Amino acid sequence: MPMKLAKTAFATLTILFLVAPLIAILPLAFTSSVILTYPVPSWSMRWFHELFFADAWRRAIVNSLIVGTGTTVLATALGTAASLGLRNRVVLFRGAVRTLFLLPMVVPAVVLGVGMQVLLARFGLTNSYMGVIIAHTVVAVPFVVVSVTGALAGIDERVELAAESLGAAPATVFRRVTLPLAMPGVLSGSVLAFATSLDEVVLTLFVAGPNQRTLARQMFSSIRENISPAIAAAAFLFIAATLLIGLAVVLSRSVLAKRR
Amino acid sequence: MTAAAPRTVRSLLLLAPLLVFLLAFFVWPLFSMMSQSVSDTAVLRLLPRSAEVLAGWDRTSPPTLPMQQALMEDLRAVDDDQALGDMVRRLNSARSGFRTLMGKTTSALGDTDNPPADLVSIDKRWGKPEFWLAIADALSPLTDRNLLAALDLGRNAAGEIEHLPADQSVNSVILVRTFWIAALVTFFCAAIGYPYAIIAASLSGWKRDLMLAAVLLPLWTSLLVRTAAWFILLQEQGLINDLLRWLHLIDAPLPLIFNRTGVIIAMTHVLLPFMVLPIYSVLITIPKNLMPAAASLGAPPLRAFLRVLLPLSLRGVASGGLLVFISAIGYYITPALIGGPGDQMISSIIAFYATGSANWGMAGALGVVLLVATLLLYSVYARLSADEPGRR
Amino acid sequence: MDPRVKPEDDESEVCVRRRASFRQPAEVMEYPLAEFIRFDRITKFYGSLCVVENLDLGIGKGEFVSLLGPSGSGKTTLLMMLAGFEQPTSGAILLDGAAINAVPTHKRDMGVVFQSYALFPHMTVGENVAFPLQMRGLGKAEIAGRVKRALDMVQLSALSERRPSQLSGGQQQRVALARALVFEPRVVLMDEPLGALDKQLREQMQLDIRDLHRRLGLTIVFVTHDQSEALTMSDRVAVFNKGRIEQIGTPRQVYDEPATRFVAEFIGETNLVEGVVEAVEGAEATVRLSSGARIVSAVSAPVASGQPVYLSIRPERVDLSETRGEARNVLETEVADFVYQGDHLRVQLQNDAHPLIAKLGRRSREFPPGTKVYAAFSAGDCRVIAP
Repeated sequence: MPMKLAKTAFATLTILFLVAPLIAILPLAFTSSVILTYPVPSWSMRWFHELFFADAWRRAIVNSLIVGTGTTVLATALGTAASLGLRNRVVLFRGAVRTLFLLPMVVPAVVLGVGMQVLLARFGLTNSYMGVIIAHTVVAVPFVVVSVTGALAGIDERVELAAESLGAAPATVFRRVTLPLAMPGVLSGSVLAFATSLDEVVLTLFVAGPNQRTLARQMFSSIRENISPAIAAAAFLFIAATLLIGLAVVLSRSVLAKRR
Repeated sequence: MTAAAPRTVRSLLLLAPLLVFLLAFFVWPLFSMMSQSVSDTAVLRLLPRSAEVLAGWDRTSPPTLPMQQALMEDLRAVDDDQALGDMVRRLNSARSGFRTLMGKTTSALGDTDNPPADLVSIDKRWGKPEFWLAIADALSPLTDRNLLAALDLGRNAAGEIEHLPADQSVNSVILVRTFWIAALVTFFCAAIGYPYAIIAASLSGWKRDLMLAAVLLPLWTSLLVRTAAWFILLQEQGLINDLLRWLHLIDAPLPLIFNRTGVIIAMTHVLLPFMVLPIYSVLITIPKNLMPAAASLGAPPLRAFLRVLLPLSLRGVASGGLLVFISAIGYYITPALIGGPGDQMISSIIAFYATGSANWGMAGALGVVLLVATLLLYSVYARLSADEPGRR
Repeated sequence: MDPRVKPEDDESEVCVRRRASFRQPAEVMEYPLAEFIRFDRITKFYGSLCVVENLDLGIGKGEFVSLLGPSGSGKTTLLMMLAGFEQPTSGAILLDGAAINAVPTHKRDMGVVFQSYALFPHMTVGENVAFPLQMRGLGKAEIAGRVKRALDMVQLSALSERRPSQLSGGQQQRVALARALVFEPRVVLMDEPLGALDKQLREQMQLDIRDLHRRLGLTIVFVTHDQSEALTMSDRVAVFNKGRIEQIGTPRQVYDEPATRFVAEFIGETNLVEGVVEAVEGAEATVRLSSGARIVSAVSAPVASGQPVYLSIRPERVDLSETRGEARNVLETEVADFVYQGDHLRVQLQNDAHPLIAKLGRRSREFPPGTKVYAAFSAGDCRVIAP
């Protein structure tokens, strides 16, 4: 049937369009030439070498790890606490507060960046890791909130009531019942926070000093000014990191599920 | 209910950290940006005494001696050259001639041997109201100049709003361009994403999983990586041109990068998942027997689509479209890396004004325009997604 | 020559033989209906799974045929193929003599009532019913008139401005029915349409549909897994099992004269007793049970002496008495359990060879457990079935 053929062709082409670009550049990370073209003359690890040993790149990786970890910790803590607070229906303006928590996802990063640069200057936080971590946290926290509220919504409230009736104080109920049940959401939220921080370029442009250049920021400059296969190597690193973390989350979730 | 009170207190305590954090580091920066767009303290900062005295002036009578003395005192007190330069620029843009006038005046005031008695003796122009008018107007801490300029409007000598001359009207060009690119990207995302979602929803098993995975994978990958991938692929010696030449579809390489085409392609690729997922999530709620039912009632496939599937999935298409459009107008990285100078979108201009020329007023004003547009569209989107048709 | 088989339809001996397998022995059915739908050697595979196997079925014009069987027996698949939603792997579907395999669904002009009604949620009741008429390009006034008549027919005219989500299950079902009938299709297909309704509503709808069938003279193909529903509504019932039709006949035929063990057990309740054929005399056979008792029974299909068979005896055909009596078939047995079921009495009988169930009318006397009784039934109450 021609219809079926057309459908299959269209779906296949679109899948290629979606996925091929990502796959196409990965092999270039292993090219030995200085230019980013196919065919690859020979394979080499030199660009990974550069990534890990060239000053600018090495510092960038370290910075990304520092900022990423800081952001993850801060965003997860703030976001999880807020999601727990949002469960209470009595809270005034609950809807407005929740919208506020989600707005950083919507507002264009440039707009935020302009305001933040001035603000951080006033607080004396320019050229500091704290400033970058704060900026990244602002845009990462909505992901944590969405993820954790989703997980919390799936918890049957009666389980917590049962724990209370069995003599558990509120803190214990949280520690022994709520938190373990919400853990999958907390984990995926923190992974998303890390991924967001890793990927954040625009805000970093505004708030980071030369010593806080993250990997993403470095990559951005590199593409603009000094293009080399190191970019492909960095891209490879990005994808590998995201996949590893994603796998870690999936594994930990299945371990958690088995224990239940 | 006394039992509820401690719970509520606890909930509020849990909410508070994030609330305070966001108020401080999200809302405040936005406000500060918005206030910058209307603030205009370049002059006020340096001429406090003149401000006081000029407040009593009637704006028509010739400048009085107290006015001139106040201004001389203020100018003598200035020690920050940069601030002085800002002030002069600001005054000059209101009324040309200030640069030379100020230069002459400050050097005369700096002459300690021969201190002038009043300003008119330095230069006759100080005797006329016009320059004083410009100073008086510039003393106001608030201004709508930036906001108007963001939309390529200005006030003429009489104070009415009018269009700026063509050589100064870049902002509306860029705004229109931004919305146009966003609209094109939204259109292509819909044209590709809607059929894709329909096919995915009609399949099952591994085929559907594959189609969904293909959409989710780019979403999980960093935006920078995706943009970098396109940067590499769209080059003249890049993979795509090589492929097209190998297939003998073209002879010479196509210019695909640093132009509109490249930007549209790259942005469509990046934003396609945001179109597919909302549409897909609406499609799977539609009962599977509706299309066969329509066929059994005599509807050929196209009419069945138009009368049954399209109306029921429209909400998803609108959601997806809004999401793509909102994201597209705020985009910075992709146009910056893949586009040419004629493809820069509004975010690049904001960044330029902020970090490039330190014109916080304009940066703020354009930021306000972008922010207002985004928030308006988002409220429509939120309305749409909350507006579920009532199901029994 | 079977009066059902017109000379011009008789293509070959093979066909006759095949049709003969559906022929009922004793009675000649008053069956003048011209054949309208024919399934010819239909086979359907899903991957390597065979869901319909080499199936032949003829349906007459104006006939109400039920496709009855458990889930997965192929009955719904057959209906889907008739509607055009699925294509047979091999075989032909003929409508009024012409093969329709290649005809797309929207040109087949059949009304389909789906199990979950498939009403368009974004249209009102009236718009739903008007839809097929719009597809056929009728004028607005005519559409309005026909919609009104269709809704009157199902007593829903007052609800034409409502949305499906505002209706009850029974009302939705009637809208689906009106929508499928409004364009006066040649054939109406129903896929377990009453499954989601409660018992009382279901029984009322069964009668309503039967009434519509009689009044409008529609050809209806009705899929159900509920045997009492099939028996209530149909002119003929086709009993499906694992992709094949085990028996097709009138409700009385499939109930009283089951051709196979499956049919006997699927329709109503029955006693199945094992035995071996001793002798065959015309339409009767003598069967010897393991206990040594001899039963004379009617036969549905030819059997040979020495063949192991089953005897199917419907519980309500069994009479119980403490004396032997004059019946042709009598079995000595003992009452094991005795339950009052409201409209009948259910007796569980047990002897060395085989258990039996008898259903007695409420006027019968009670037989307490332990009573030795004689279970009696005539030859016609009993059927020989090949295993």
